[in-house]
Amino acid sequence: MLESFRGGKVARWFKGRSMWLLHFCTGCGAIELPPSMTSRYDLERFGIIPMASPRQADVLLITGYLSVKTLKRVITTYEQMLDPKYVIGFGSCTINGGMYWDSYATINKLDYYLPVDVYISGCMPAPDAIFAAFLELREKIEKGEANGYKLYKIHYERYKANQDKVFKNRGIIEGED
Amino acid sequence: MKTYELFIGPQHVGITGNFSVILELEGNVVKKATPNPGFLHRGFEKLMEMRGFIHNVPIVCRICVPDPDPNEANYAMAVEKLLGIEPPPRAKYIRTIVLEFSRIASHLFTFGGHAGSIGLYTIPNWTISDRDFILDLFEMLTGGRVYHIFIYPGGVRRDLPDGFIEKAKDVLNYLEKRLDDYNKLYFDSYMFKKRARGIGIINKEDAIEWGVTGPNLRASGVKADTRKDDPYAAYGELDFEIPVLTGGDAYDRIMIRRMEVVESIKIIRQALDNIPDGPIREKVPNPMRFIVPPGDAYVKVESSKGEYGYYMVSNGKDKPYRVYIRGASMTHGIHILEKLLPGNYLADVSQIMFSLDVCPPEIDR
Amino acid sequence: MVEGVVELIKGNFSDVEIVIPEHQEKRVHISVEKEKVKEIAKFLKDNGFRHLSFITCVDWIDEGKFELVYGLYSYEEKIVVLIKTKIDRDNPKQETLLPLWDQAQTYEREIHEMFGVYFDGNPGLTPFILEDWEGIPPMRKDFDSRKYSQITYDSEAK
Repeated sequence: MLESFRGGKVARWFKGRSMWLLHFCTGCGAIELPPSMTSRYDLERFGIIPMASPRQADVLLITGYLSVKTLKRVITTYEQMLDPKYVIGFGSCTINGGMYWDSYATINKLDYYLPVDVYISGCMPAPDAIFAAFLELREKIEKGEANGYKLYKIHYERYKANQDKVFKNRGIIEGED
Repeated sequence: MKTYELFIGPQHVGITGNFSVILELEGNVVKKATPNPGFLHRGFEKLMEMRGFIHNVPIVCRICVPDPDPNEANYAMAVEKLLGIEPPPRAKYIRTIVLEFSRIASHLFTFGGHAGSIGLYTIPNWTISDRDFILDLFEMLTGGRVYHIFIYPGGVRRDLPDGFIEKAKDVLNYLEKRLDDYNKLYFDSYMFKKRARGIGIINKEDAIEWGVTGPNLRASGVKADTRKDDPYAAYGELDFEIPVLTGGDAYDRIMIRRMEVVESIKIIRQALDNIPDGPIREKVPNPMRFIVPPGDAYVKVESSKGEYGYYMVSNGKDKPYRVYIRGASMTHGIHILEKLLPGNYLADVSQIMFSLDVCPPEIDR
Repeated sequence: MVEGVVELIKGNFSDVEIVIPEHQEKRVHISVEKEKVKEIAKFLKDNGFRHLSFITCVDWIDEGKFELVYGLYSYEEKIVVLIKTKIDRDNPKQETLLPLWDQAQTYEREIHEMFGVYFDGNPGLTPFILEDWEGIPPMRKDFDSRKYSQITYDSEAK
């Protein structure tokens, strides 16, 4: 009975109602997070509060575009978080590059480097859209489908090869000297 | 004693955005500080050379995140100077109203950030809630809460809707009454005065030599404001004062922003009462093939953080040849932090950054 | 006033080219050779132009030259003066303005990284924004950003 409590339906029901965000403003979308936490929209009634240390947080919110210099630090932070952990991609820049699709410094598809559970589209998403995404993440957790952290361990070689391709190829167009 | 190295890295609660400072500490006291920018770099100046003059209008506002309207006003003014046209008077008044509301929203954000860094956590909750009323007005006028895409070379995109002037006056009355509540909770409180006085002093001669601009310069005793010295939009016809303080420390830099909020409320009331009738847009060349004659221009506005300037070069084609963006935090975030941080305690590093109002997207672009 | 500033510069330097752009008030653009830049900047700083606004660079690839632009501002006259000078594109070197203004270090570091211009006498030309960049300086006109983005970021590693 202890085994079924730890990994089973009751534990997942509790996990979905207590998701702590990590406090990391990675891009321009971070300006719509403080208004969601004030009393007009109030994220805390769903059990979501910001947390300063990655060792005690559950959800990593990638708010917007990622430059390559930030991607290194995001991966270090993601690997410091403890299981189970979830990633939410916030904004159009994580889906296909957004309006910086032809820039030499920002990545285009977040899914190549980190496993993503839920995407929010928009530029910039309003606080109502943030709520919809967190409720969808809660449904996924209750059904047992939010398995990004397990996929990261199973396919680790593929993720590491993609990350190294971006970190090592700095500025040299292939085929030129 | 030995020194050790500490990163106040990009993932931290006490810095204004995605920025990093490498500190060398001896015990509890900072000996040397090296700012490390570049986490938000998108290569904006290269992107703007690959898109036409009209295609640049939606992306320009994303350069400075808390205060996006000075970017749009600068870009529109630079293209207008090269074309040789002037926007009509009604458009100038509407631009003034939008720019001043954006200034009040940005100052409210700064108050919240600075109070949170010294431990008074109620004030960010209040100021960010009050800022939401201004964002509602923007949504009524332009369609978007944070990024507006409203100021356009030649005028503005849309006229004031019905009921906007009454709603704006209600918001201004509410904000004016709230300033009394903030006095009791924050500006007159014993904790704020004891922690913020005497921290990070910049005196008058150093301020001009080091390149300080904006409210930080006015808190050190120099009376300079682009709205009076080099008027743009409708500022030449409105009546307002420039407050100046002489202390130069973190306390004065926050108090001068409070005085500017009072002046901004006055400016918006005058603009709403005296707005003239007429068209809102001047005729520009065909947007499908927008050609600008060759030349170069440097334009600047007074944003909530300081002097914000664009240098644009055109060579007669339909894409800009070179656009240089001089963010207001270029000097505040790099050179001034290197000079001010040594000698202070570790607990005051965050307070100095918030009182200077360092905005990292302007440095990296 | 703008005429006063023009008289002041013409009276002391005879071979500079002064342009007052049309439709723009309170601006004076002057073009000089690269050896005279520090002298003119020091003269203007002693006459009230104490604020250095920016230093930037424009890449004229068809002529084979870089153009450096310095912006100075005076709080008494309230006029912006732009000093423009052209240097060679294949071996770009210029004298540093550090002895006059300490804060010029930020702008000179950025131009060194983005365009590849070397400033004589500046000991701290370390990378400013990019990290581990090994290609050509990215703001030059012969670097194709779209092609680089398509190759690096649009496909997975094999």
